[in-house]
Formats: sequence, structure tokens, C-alpha cells
Amino acid sequence: MSDLWINIFRHRTDEEDTIMKLMMKIPIFDGLNSRELAQIERILHQRDFVKDEVIFFQGDPGLGMYIIVNGDIDIISEPEKHVLAELHVGDFLGELSLLDESPRTATAVAKTPSRLLCLFQSDLYDLIDRNPRLGVKIMVQLARTIGARLKKTNEHVNEIKRGLKP
Amino acid sequence: MNNKPSNWTRILAVVACVSVLFYLMSVLADLTKILVVSGLLAYIMDPLAVKLESRGMSRTVATLIIFAALSVLLTGSLIMLLPAFVDQISAIQADLSPEQASALFARLDLFVEKKLSFIGIHNLELSEKLQRAMINFGDWMISHLIDVFSLFTHLVLIPFITFFLLKDGRAMKKQIIRIIPNRYFEFSLNLFSKMDSQLGNFLRGQFMDALIFGALAIAALWFLDVKYFLLIGLFAGAANLIPFVGPIAGALAAVTVSVVDTGSFAMAGYIVPAFVIMKLIDDALIQPIVVARSVDMHPLMVLMAVIIGGKFFGILGMLLSVPATGFFKVAVKESILLFRRYRLT
Repeated sequence: MSDLWINIFRHRTDEEDTIMKLMMKIPIFDGLNSRELAQIERILHQRDFVKDEVIFFQGDPGLGMYIIVNGDIDIISEPEKHVLAELHVGDFLGELSLLDESPRTATAVAKTPSRLLCLFQSDLYDLIDRNPRLGVKIMVQLARTIGARLKKTNEHVNEIKRGLKP
Repeated sequence: MNNKPSNWTRILAVVACVSVLFYLMSVLADLTKILVVSGLLAYIMDPLAVKLESRGMSRTVATLIIFAALSVLLTGSLIMLLPAFVDQISAIQADLSPEQASALFARLDLFVEKKLSFIGIHNLELSEKLQRAMINFGDWMISHLIDVFSLFTHLVLIPFITFFLLKDGRAMKKQIIRIIPNRYFEFSLNLFSKMDSQLGNFLRGQFMDALIFGALAIAALWFLDVKYFLLIGLFAGAANLIPFVGPIAGALAAVTVSVVDTGSFAMAGYIVPAFVIMKLIDDALIQPIVVARSVDMHPLMVLMAVIIGGKFFGILGMLLSVPATGFFKVAVKESILLFRRYRLT
């Protein structure tokens, strides 16, 4: 079969399938159909990191969100080098950077050789320009995710307050 | 021992890379011109493609529609303007036939001697110089026949490359970003995004400004009944990209043609005010609306760029030097700003 026909009847590779399955688990892509997910996949940047390689530093301008395809990532608070969290396959980090360019609040380091997908803020805004319907869906889900985190934080604060009361 | 390269080594490496790039660009001048023109056209048309995509079309369909509309528009303009173009070019050729040109230059010699003798100019011997030039004209024609071939390849290649840059530009950009090391990944993404937002508006604005100023100049010169109004108007529009010198060059071309045509400076009294008014309209109305102020360039900087562009890439290089200077200015400015914000040292 010629390359042309191979391209026309091309099936998704195993890796593309894995990425699609991962994306379905990400809350901000909740409710999107496979065509919409494919549109987002086209704007994702895939990056491979070696062990101990820094993904971003605390204080760098936040530019986008990372999704872990494989490997483990440490979130480290500086300058004390305290590990705040360890993230694994399917987890995501830096989703707030999709909304503004505020500095990263911690450093992210690859604990093991890792593959990550990056959704860059300006690529997302470009997608919103091209497909406002899909853009609204993502933004609503992003608002819900951030809202849920805010609720959780409030619960923690209330728990701490209750613990502090004599 | 610290094996990390110092900042100076990095700067030297960047300067060396840029120098090699410039050298290659000047060696492959033709290819560079084609790529730059195609890239600019694709960049200018990108918002149109995005607009069509937002109506539910795929990028390929959007690109096809834009090219179909452009083809119709260009064919229509050619049908309308081609006769006038051909007339004006034939008129120039007729005016420059050996006999008429000799008479014309003899008249100009006389005019110069009569009006400018007070500053020491007596006889320019234009007729003799013209005859000498005519002898060399045959050689010139043969050496430039090859240019007709290159013009044809440009006319085919530029739309072809523009089409694919417009259709697949986003995927190409992604492939370029893919080869950037992780350490510079976010920095590069940020740099591209900042440059895109500043340059996009600037380049599209400059293009629109040249188009509107050119149309105004054509209308004004047609109204004033200046010969070759179409060609001079187009030249004035393109020259307007160059601050200060551009509008003067446009007016000068129109005045020169009218002086040669009529043998007097009488029309200059109408042409110069017309250009002054057009420039005022441009500064007060057109530029504030269409040209982004984010890329302010010093006129001297633009002028230097125009001279360098002309030296390496001819007339097209002179025109492209304005957007190219904007591009380099934004690239350098944003790189310096971002270097300070990222921990790259």
C-alpha cells in the first residue's frame, strides 16, 4: 500500500491511545468527546525528562499545565528543599498557569525518567479562538476543578481552626 | 571544576550562530526571499484562517477558502488594473524610445541650465549619457532574461509555500519546539508567544497601512492627472513603510514625473500638499487604528535596516527590512526580559 493510503487509513498508535485514555482521566477534560480530545492532543507538547531533571523552578513564570504520562515527579518547596508531594502517572500539575502567568509556587523535579505532556496557555487561548464551544467546555471544567480545590482548602482551614480552639 | 559555559561563551555562541545564519541567508538570497515573503503572507492571513476555523471549518478547508477568495480577488484586480498597468508601462517605453528620450533629456538639460545655473550646474549632458546607456542596454537585457525565469518560479513557489505554511504552520512550529532542550522549553514557548502577540499586530498593521496609503496615493495622483499614477501610487504605498524618507520618496517620484512630463514645476504645488495631507491622514487616522504601537522603532534604525536589506537582497530586501527589523527588535527585547525571569544561567 502506498504511503498516501497508509496515511488515510492510519490507525492510532498504542502511545496515542494511552495519551487519549490519560486525558479522559483529567478533570478539566471531563465530558469531552474523542474528536474534541483529539483537537487538544494536537496542541500538547510531549517532553521526556531524565532522573533529577528540573521541569520548572519555583518562581519561574507559570506557562501551562503538565500531565504525567509516565514516571514520578517530586514537588519541592524552596529554599528548604522540602518535598511537598509526589505525583504519578495520570496526575497533573500547574493547572492554575492556564489562567495567568503568576510565578510557579514550587519546583518540579523528575524523580524517575518521565514523560510529560504540556498544555501551554497561549495554545489553549488559540484553541478557544478557533473553537469557542470546546474552549467554554474546558474553561467550565477548569473553574470546577479550581472550585473543588478551594472547597477542600476551606475544609482544611476550618479543621485547623477547630483544632486551634481551646 | 566547573564545566558549565559562562554567559560570555553563550553570547558568543549565539552571535556566531546568527552570523552563520545571515551568511547562509545572503548566499541563498533567492530562497531566503521566497521563504520570508511566503512566511509573511501566511502570517498576515492567519487571523482569517482562525476566524473561519471558529465557524466550524477545518484548517485545510479554511486555507482553501482563503486561497480561492484571493484568486478571485487577484484575478478581478488584474482584469481591472492590467490594461492600465500595460498602458503605463508602454507609455514609459514609448517615452524612452531613443528619439523621444533624446528630446526629453535635451529639454531637461535646457531646463536645468536655465533654472539651476546659479548654483553652478550648466550642462548635465544627459543625452550623451543616455546614448552610452543604450549601448549597454542589450547586454543588460540578456543578463536579466534569467530574472524573467526567476520571477516565474517566484510566482509559482510563493503561493505554493504560503499555502502550506498557512495550513500546517502550527504543526511545523510544534516540530521546531520539539527539538528545543527541556531547559529552554518554557523560555522558548514564552518567547514565541510574546513575539507572536506583538509582531502579529505590527506586521498586519504595517501591511494594511501600506495598502491604504498606496490606495490614497493612487487616487490623489489620478485626480491630479499625474502620468503613471498607478505605478507611483504603488511605490508610495510600499515606501511609506520607511518613516520620514518613504513619503518624501513617493512625493519626489511624482514630482519628478510631472516635471519631466510637463517641463515645469507647476504641478509640484499640488502634488506636495497632496502628499502632506495624505501623510497627516496616515499619522492621525490610519496608523493609530491599524499599526500596533508595541513595536516602536527609531527611524534611524529602520533606515539602516533598509540600506542593509537593499545591499544584500535588492529592492525586495529594502521592503522586507522593515518587518525584519521589527522581528529582531522584539526577539532581542523579549529574550533579554525573559532571561531575567527564568533561571537559565
